[in-house]
Amino acid sequence: MSESCKYKRYIWELPVRCCHWINVVSIVVLSVTGFFIGRPYSFASSASDFTMGWIRFIHFTAAYLFTVSVISRTIWAFIGNKYSGWRAFFPLATVQGREKSVKMLRYYLLIDKQVPETIGHNPLATSAYVVLFGLYSVMILTGFSLYAEHAPLSPMHRALAFMYSLFSDQGMRFTHHISMWFILGFVVNHIYSAWLMDIKEHGGEISSMFSGYKFTVKKED
Amino acid sequence: MAKIVVDPITRIEGHLRIEAEVNGGRISDAWSSATMFRGIEKILRGRDPRDAWFWTQRFCGVCTTVHSIASIRAVENALKIKIPPNAELIRNIIIGIQNVQDHVIHFYHLHALDWVDITSGLRADPAATSKLAASLSDWPNNSTTYFKAVQDKLKAFVNTGRLGPFGNAYWGHPAYRLPPEANLMATAHYLEALEWQKDVIKIHAILGSKNPHPQTFLVGGMAIPIDPDSQNALNADKLIEIRRLLKKAQDFVEKVYIPDLLAVASFYKEWAAIGGGVGNYMCYGEFPDASGNMWFPAGAILNKDLSKVVKVDQGKIAEYVDHSWFENSTGAGKGLHPYDGETEVRYTGPSAPYEYLDTTAKYSFVKSPRYDEKAMEVGPLARVLVAYASDHRETKAVVDLVLQKLGVGADALFSTLGRTAARGIDCLLVARQNTRFLDELIGNISKGDYRIHANEKWDPSEWPAEAQGYGMHEAPRGALGHWIKIKDQKIANYQAVVPSTWNASPRDATGQRGPYEAALIGTPLADPGKPLEILRTIHSFDPCLACAVH
Amino acid sequence: MSGKENGDSALTELDAEQSEFSIGEILRKRGVSRRDFLKFCSVMTAAMALPASFAPKVAEALDEATRPTLVWLEMQSCSGDSEALLRSANPTVAEILLDILSVDYHETIMAAAGHQAEEALDKAIATYRGKYICVIEGSISMKDGGVYGSTGGKSHLARARQVCSGALATIAVGTCATYGGIAAAVPNPTGAVGVKEAVPSATVINLPGCPVNADNLTATIVHYLVFGKIPALDSHGRPLFAYGKRIHDNCERRPHFDAGQYVEHWGDDSHRKGFCLYKMGCKGPATFHNCPTQRYNEKTSWPIGSGHPCAGCSEPNFWDTMSPMYKRLPNVPGFGIEATADKIGLGLVAGAGAAFAVHGVLNALRKDKEPADDTKEG
Ligand code: HEM
Ligand code: HEM
Ligand code: NFV
Ligand code: SF4
Ligand code: SF4
Ligand code: F3S
Ligand SMILES: [Mg+2]
Repeated sequence: MSESCKYKRYIWELPVRCCHWINVVSIVVLSVTGFFIGRPYSFASSASDFTMGWIRFIHFTAAYLFTVSVISRTIWAFIGNKYSGWRAFFPLATVQGREKSVKMLRYYLLIDKQVPETIGHNPLATSAYVVLFGLYSVMILTGFSLYAEHAPLSPMHRALAFMYSLFSDQGMRFTHHISMWFILGFVVNHIYSAWLMDIKEHGGEISSMFSGYKFTVKKED
Repeated sequence: MAKIVVDPITRIEGHLRIEAEVNGGRISDAWSSATMFRGIEKILRGRDPRDAWFWTQRFCGVCTTVHSIASIRAVENALKIKIPPNAELIRNIIIGIQNVQDHVIHFYHLHALDWVDITSGLRADPAATSKLAASLSDWPNNSTTYFKAVQDKLKAFVNTGRLGPFGNAYWGHPAYRLPPEANLMATAHYLEALEWQKDVIKIHAILGSKNPHPQTFLVGGMAIPIDPDSQNALNADKLIEIRRLLKKAQDFVEKVYIPDLLAVASFYKEWAAIGGGVGNYMCYGEFPDASGNMWFPAGAILNKDLSKVVKVDQGKIAEYVDHSWFENSTGAGKGLHPYDGETEVRYTGPSAPYEYLDTTAKYSFVKSPRYDEKAMEVGPLARVLVAYASDHRETKAVVDLVLQKLGVGADALFSTLGRTAARGIDCLLVARQNTRFLDELIGNISKGDYRIHANEKWDPSEWPAEAQGYGMHEAPRGALGHWIKIKDQKIANYQAVVPSTWNASPRDATGQRGPYEAALIGTPLADPGKPLEILRTIHSFDPCLACAVH
Repeated sequence: MSGKENGDSALTELDAEQSEFSIGEILRKRGVSRRDFLKFCSVMTAAMALPASFAPKVAEALDEATRPTLVWLEMQSCSGDSEALLRSANPTVAEILLDILSVDYHETIMAAAGHQAEEALDKAIATYRGKYICVIEGSISMKDGGVYGSTGGKSHLARARQVCSGALATIAVGTCATYGGIAAAVPNPTGAVGVKEAVPSATVINLPGCPVNADNLTATIVHYLVFGKIPALDSHGRPLFAYGKRIHDNCERRPHFDAGQYVEHWGDDSHRKGFCLYKMGCKGPATFHNCPTQRYNEKTSWPIGSGHPCAGCSEPNFWDTMSPMYKRLPNVPGFGIEATADKIGLGLVAGAGAAFAVHGVLNALRKDKEPADDTKEG
């Protein structure tokens, strides 16, 4: 156990935690169903089965849930506390943030032994989150553009007109498909880092995404 | 001396231009030029070899199957794939009906108006026309009322004052020889053939989804499944429909096309001495059976010598570009075998609008293929000559009959008329043979053989790192070859030497003329302002320029 | 009119009244019964995706319309679209040529050749300026001043500009004329483009397909004759009545798609039973075209109906974007043909996993310092 005393601190408000876990669940569902859509396996026994139909239905339902959650989290970035605020996602914009990031990077690269303390977001992770949010947007935009093609000239289809001029249909499909792998690549990294920081910082990193509380050595920030 | 120019040559596929010099009422020299280029051979590089057929099919929408066939054969040859017998038979039926339909369209819709003056048919006596038709065949549409109705329709059409596609032609030209009744009969059959062609080609739709550009070929076989117990596969219902259409095709050829051809030819016998050409003929053979033997034999005839059939070796083919708007890395005067062929386009012709090409320099987008350095004519005439000289039983019988009916010797075949007659002979032979392919296919299916595709090498991971192969095919217009080099599962080089490439080729490095050019020499022109005779000889080759250049 | 030029022709002997007959009148003269005519009208109504109640309006309009002039130009084409016209069934090509339209220029079928053919074209576009329909087949070469396509000594580009400018409307038929098609595929050696790109000022209706479905061409013309305006178009300039819906949403194999029954190998049981061709590379989910309903060759069949996947032939740039034909997703540039998105993705994830495993082990092997309260230090 650590020698320095720990302060319990409320960091992740309920909407942040909710969005996080809704995203986790929907991404898992979307990836599993999406992978099946991309490489279906024939196990239906009759043309009246609806295997692919249900899988697509689940994909689209999860897609809506995911989209609502992503939008909610984005809005919360403007109303929530400073840990969830949009500024926290651009640590490289401030001198302090850059310093912290360098420390974090040196630690990750096994150069420094000092575990940097982070109260809110890990400054390096936030940069990855920005990229991840980019991927979310790509998934949502390409996903809904593919989806809207069943109803040409519907409001959704019209609203996404810019997507159809940016992408060929197959390009959209491909982007949607390969971006799943990029997200999964992030997830591997993310879970590892969360686990790593959890045991190194002893700050209750993982449980913080459930409870909202972290344990820090500093009292005030 | 001012040249005469025919551009566009109409009633062909594509963009062909003929320039000719006339001396004493006869053509003394001629140049054949293709004025459109796409560069599909280049576009193919780096793509999936299994897709090549779909691309090369778009060389041409008229002979809309032939490049698919040559292409899949080339890939199968490179990857050493043996296709199931049913796939070979389905391909044969598709090839066969393509040949028949293409030839009939050519005769009636692309060639006939060179010999038939539609407007003269307006003066014909329907009763006499009926008598003429009945004397030629027992085709049901030969009554006086029938021809009267056709004539009335034609009159009503002319009365609208709008002649549409028939406007501004060489009507009334002194070289038109047919009596009004023959003209009316041919016009009636022009319209009948228009209906007929769209029906019989439904065989392509049944076996391959649509025509033009059937979508059914696969490297390793065919995409149309066979299963008499399925509604989504080739079943009895569809096979019977194919049989009906094959019969319809054969009937029309036997009872309309061939009689019309003989009737028209008998008025134009002087054309058996015009339009000879290069005198060398080449055929790759066609309609392989399960063991790869060809029904139509392969071979070449040199210098019109029918006593000897030379074996064809694809290794002796080379393409020259000395008068074509391309450059070879080997430099001037050297040809390239298609495996190493290049398609580096360099247009050096005049900038449009222009009146004449500089025919002393490069003047066409068609390359000059040569066999063992020789210019070769390919096409139905070559096919028929090679088969005739090889003592091919079915061919010999029909050729002898036609020669006898026209009262001419075998020499007459080396001509414009011979080319046009050979197309009819080819068509008749194939129309008859086609039902045999169908019978064989039905026989296989009855024995429970439903295989249509050899799957083992479908997956590119089963391929060698490098491979090369060629695919040969006798297209309606003649000997067609595709050559492919595959590297790392992609197309490294692709070259096609197409029937019309042989026939429409410009001069080569040694100044040897291509077949169109050679055939025009000596052609008499009654009125150089209206060079109908040029159309006759050029059309007798059935040019396809999209094919020739690709 | 044009026929009267030849003084020695039989035509002059006829009392060729220069009247403009209506289509209905011509059909009656040609012995087409009223019943056949109405049947034709209802077929057309269906082809235009109009409710059946429109058939009388179609009939009425055709009864009054006179044969519009049509000129058909071939550029960098394979003539597949001309051949498609020859296969049309409702109406047949004979009816189109003789009764419905006055096709004053069409190189593949016209009797005149050379200068006389060019004269026929000049005359048609001068006489019917602003009233004729121009149909263009094949792409137009723009590179090097358009030297890769010329007819009659004139560049295709110049011909297109001249003929389109005087046309009532230009109908681009086939994917080459609409979007450049095969000649425009990478590396596009001739700078091929579609008509609208070559002649931006032209009023162009795009009827893509490789080749065009001739039924869609006649329906477009009849639509114009009936309603006096061009049909509603989508963002690619295609009439909604023919391109307003995806193949995938009209496909007869869709139940198999939804069920999860796919063709796995050519000629296997699933293929023979007509399962969905999705896994064989079908581009139906990405393609807007009425093939499943309109079909080809008098509704005999269509690609998927005959067991081959859709190649996406009515989409812009489909040659590049929809290939390879037998794979669902495009190849990744720079990787071999067999590198799929999944292989690359899996490699990426596995790579990340491996890297972090190593990182974790290295981390476990050393003793880190606990985080300190740096506020105190500073
Ligand atoms: C993290 C989020 C997502 C993941 C990982 C994901 C994954 C996938 C994958 C792998 C495919 C198969 C692509 C192919 O190979 O063709 C797919 C298809 C699809 N996805 Fe997603 N997706 C996600 C979000 C969305 C969203 C937000 C939508 C919006 C509606 C969506 C709609 C679709 C559609 C329409 C398809 C094509 C299905 C079809 O039409 O058959 N996806 N998805
Ligand atoms: C699909 C999988 C996942 C995705 C896409 C994901 C994404 C994210 C994102 C975007 C954040 C930033 C939170 C915000 O500010 O809104 C975050 C934070 C966090 N996630 Fe996840 N997450 C995933 C799975 C997990 C799992 C399985 C765990 C637990 C083992 C976890 C633990 C955490 C923790 C502890 C944080 C706060 C870390 C920090 O920023 O300092 N995540 N995650
Ligand atoms: N020449 C030629 Fe073709 C044929 N037959 C093909 O190979 O026409 Ni379009
Ligand atoms: S669109 Fe297709 S059919 Fe039409 S010209 Fe182009 S390649 Fe030929
Ligand atoms: S065959 Fe093609 S278009 Fe038809 S349902 Fe399957 S994927 Fe869709
Ligand atoms: S390839 Fe073309 S013909 Fe129809 S089914 Fe697909 S759009
Ligand atoms: Mg070539």
